[in-house]
Amino acid sequence: MKLLRKLRPKFWWLALAFSLFLVGTSGVFSRLEDFVRLHQTPQLKVPKGWPVPHYDFAENHVTAAGFELGRRLFYDPVLSRDNTVACGSCHQQFAAFAHLDHRVSHGIGGVNGKRNAPGLFNLAWQPNFMWDGAVHNLELQPIAPIQNPIEMDEKIGHVIEKLEADPRYPVQFRAAFGSEVIDTQRVFRALTQFMGTMVSSDSRYDRYIAGDEPFSAAEKHGLQVFREHCASCHSEPLFTDYSFRNNGLDRAPPDRGRADVTNAAGDEGTFRVPSLRNIELTAPYMHDGRYATLEQVLDHYINGVQPSATLDPRLANGIRLDVSERNDLLQFLKTLTDETFVNDPRFAETNE
Amino acid sequence: MLQSNRDHEIKTFPRGNRLIFGSLIVTVAAVSLLSGCKFFKSGPETFSVRLEISPVVGDQPFQLDDGSGAASYKTASGDQFSVTRLRYYLSNFRLRRSDGSFYQAPLDAKSSEGYFLVDTAEPASQTFKFINAPAGDYNGIEFLVGVDDARNSAGVQTGTLDPARGMFWTWRTGYIFLSLEGQSPQSTAPQHALTFHVGGGGKDSLARRVYLPVGETLLHVRANIEPLIHLHVDVSALFHAAHDIRLAETNTVMDSAQGAVIADNAASMFRIDHIHNEPRKASHVP
Repeated sequence: MKLLRKLRPKFWWLALAFSLFLVGTSGVFSRLEDFVRLHQTPQLKVPKGWPVPHYDFAENHVTAAGFELGRRLFYDPVLSRDNTVACGSCHQQFAAFAHLDHRVSHGIGGVNGKRNAPGLFNLAWQPNFMWDGAVHNLELQPIAPIQNPIEMDEKIGHVIEKLEADPRYPVQFRAAFGSEVIDTQRVFRALTQFMGTMVSSDSRYDRYIAGDEPFSAAEKHGLQVFREHCASCHSEPLFTDYSFRNNGLDRAPPDRGRADVTNAAGDEGTFRVPSLRNIELTAPYMHDGRYATLEQVLDHYINGVQPSATLDPRLANGIRLDVSERNDLLQFLKTLTDETFVNDPRFAETNE
Repeated sequence: MLQSNRDHEIKTFPRGNRLIFGSLIVTVAAVSLLSGCKFFKSGPETFSVRLEISPVVGDQPFQLDDGSGAASYKTASGDQFSVTRLRYYLSNFRLRRSDGSFYQAPLDAKSSEGYFLVDTAEPASQTFKFINAPAGDYNGIEFLVGVDDARNSAGVQTGTLDPARGMFWTWRTGYIFLSLEGQSPQSTAPQHALTFHVGGGGKDSLARRVYLPVGETLLHVRANIEPLIHLHVDVSALFHAAHDIRLAETNTVMDSAQGAVIADNAASMFRIDHIHNEPRKASHVP
């Protein structure tokens, strides 16, 4: 295994060249090609038609060693006070890195947080993080859950001590950053190499847009409905405009949302517009996880929107959809599921 | 054309001359190394200026509370307070020239040099070289209490700006510019605690700019003189300066609205007590 890793860069390039040579001649080898692709370190590639990413990897080049270190850190519960909760505990790959069936995040000792753990993908494009946008740099984002008493409840300094004491880590830090020094910047840059290269851009929707795959009549109609009624906030291709809005969940919002950060009256009860990519997988929905199904979400917009001072004006009358529009919209939303991403072995849990 | 001619000349140097030419290059390289690489630096040569900070309350020396109760002070409004921890960032130092313009040392985005974390419990953090400036006379200093917006919203930093230093918000991005923890019998918080965490960037940044004229004695920055500014930091100004604060009402400050009040007051804590234009020790020629 060690030998294999040493050989990896050269070895895989050779394998790639070889497989490309053969791929035209036999269908069997397209599998080999997939295999090779999935063993290359992910890099942040901007899909066609997408905007320039917000996070700049120029100061933090993604390397095989850095990415693998970030992956190990992401899945290592030593990042929590009692070594029980990892990032990956509440961000599960099969749920597009959301937390399946959990309304709000579960922290250390079974304590409940107050907000729903969001899916993680396309983070390099996101200008700020958390439901209230309190964090505005991808590198700094993991500090919030690590130090939050109701999430992982640990201090960065102590995390570093634990990593230093684990014989696997100094070696990996040297491979990634040139020396065995473990410091805050290295820990979070490695995590960023892992999180920031999680790109989800291979859903059926993407293939339809690229002209590679057809949509059913219902899905086409659903896309039309989506563009008419939803896309002003959930704008393509990222399916969010990253704004903060009150979508009418409560007459008197119990959670201040964005106002926690800004203290502005106009921000009371507003939350970040989440991406709808992989939405089928990231249940439950809303900042507090109150809806278990997409049907419930659509019904909220159709006839459940509550008035309040900060309600988004576009939702003042709800969203009027007839039965066929509602059903086709639902069909369309399911085309945003990216099976390639949630099955990509490079992002899978590791403790090797 | 000229270039190719010269190449041609070098190629056709006789063997003996080539040796002389080579040793000339070595000599030039050695000389530029010995001259401290000044050759490669842009701008004039610079010399360090030092700052020494003494915390005070009014005219009295200030001490942190060690639990004995001896270090208890009164605010201007008569509230009693003691402090167990006081830390703050100073950054973006500038020196004012006699023509009114300022000299600011360039900052390196990759290092925390120029960002000082002052911890009242650590003497070493209260005396430091705050700037390297060209030789000249300066009549004032300016600095930021806190961290500028560019650095406050950048990625994970090192050194004094390492988030592990405990001066970084855990629930939102950005540094705590000033942190005071202590007690007051007037405080209505549990255990009569005082907790002031001031910070926050953006258009309403709580970093405050402070300008202090040096008075009659100018700072003489020279190759052979290292000026020392002795700065007094009046802790009681936090409670009584631009705003008068009563500890029964204001004892736990985290948000930006109350933070702004403390930040305004923090800008009034600093005063220059005196200046020494000391002979520069030979050991620290830059």
